[in-house]
Amino acid sequence: MPKCVKICLVASAGGHLTQLLRLESGWNGHSTFCVTTSNVVQEKLQKYRKVHVVGECNRQHLLKVLLVSIRCIRIILKERPDVIISTGAAVGCIMCFLGKVTGAKIVWVDSITNVNKLSLSGRLVWHIADLFLSQWQQLAEQYKNIEYAGKII
Amino acid sequence: MIFLTVGTQFPFDRLLKAVDDALAEVSFGEEIFAQTGESSYVPRNFKVTPFIDRGSFDKYISQASSVISHAGMGTIAAVLGYGKPMLVMPRQRKYGEVVNDHQLAIARKLEMSGHILVAYESRDLAGKMNQLKTFIPCERNSQHQAVADRIARFLVEISNKQAAK
Repeated sequence: MPKCVKICLVASAGGHLTQLLRLESGWNGHSTFCVTTSNVVQEKLQKYRKVHVVGECNRQHLLKVLLVSIRCIRIILKERPDVIISTGAAVGCIMCFLGKVTGAKIVWVDSITNVNKLSLSGRLVWHIADLFLSQWQQLAEQYKNIEYAGKII
Repeated sequence: MIFLTVGTQFPFDRLLKAVDDALAEVSFGEEIFAQTGESSYVPRNFKVTPFIDRGSFDKYISQASSVISHAGMGTIAAVLGYGKPMLVMPRQRKYGEVVNDHQLAIARKLEMSGHILVAYESRDLAGKMNQLKTFIPCERNSQHQAVADRIARFLVEISNKQAAK
């Protein structure tokens, strides 16, 4: 059995989180904690020992982005994950960049809704990701270092 | 019962009004129950509740004859999982409903593959609701296990590298 790594799972409430949770068997046997955006989804995450709720933010509300980023910095410094796995959106992007700075490996699974082009978050994280998966073959072929492994939904 | 849902994060008055207007013209012979989130529109022709918990959400989908919703992936995944007929109205950037047109893109793809019906504009809704009565969605085979396996392989590489240090 390989050594257990500490994984931070990040997804915004809604479809991003639904997609992330379908990949659960991928991190079997590793230690995990979650970061999400809303208390509404606590029920879905019951089986995870630790869940951090940081609030919603997007590029239209930069003050909120700042506030959420500060919460994310605290989480990164406290938890020190080895790997960040995210399906987006903005909060996933923020956690990936902060994790990269502290030496974590970055896994980004781009949402199935990004059919013809990457989202803004995806485009940014593409520069720093160690594993970047798109759910559309044609989109994966347009970029260096993007893999297609199938559709989650 | 037809279950109408707009998700929990943003209002979607355009969809609620379109369904309400459609009902004013035609009877669909079935009751509609709506979860309306932050929306402010008050429909005349069906009952609403702003929020429901996860368990009730699943229950409404499983009991509904069909579902009408925004093109949010959480809802689409749940409805496809139950194999229910579904009609979506994508939230659109031009109406200030979202920051990009990802809902439009995924709705088009799933419409082409025969998984859902789509009403892009309010004027399309009544017609699509009529089609929904007899619509049988194509079965969808998810490849989530293949994606999970790819991540598992990556994690093995990482932990081997750590162990070698």
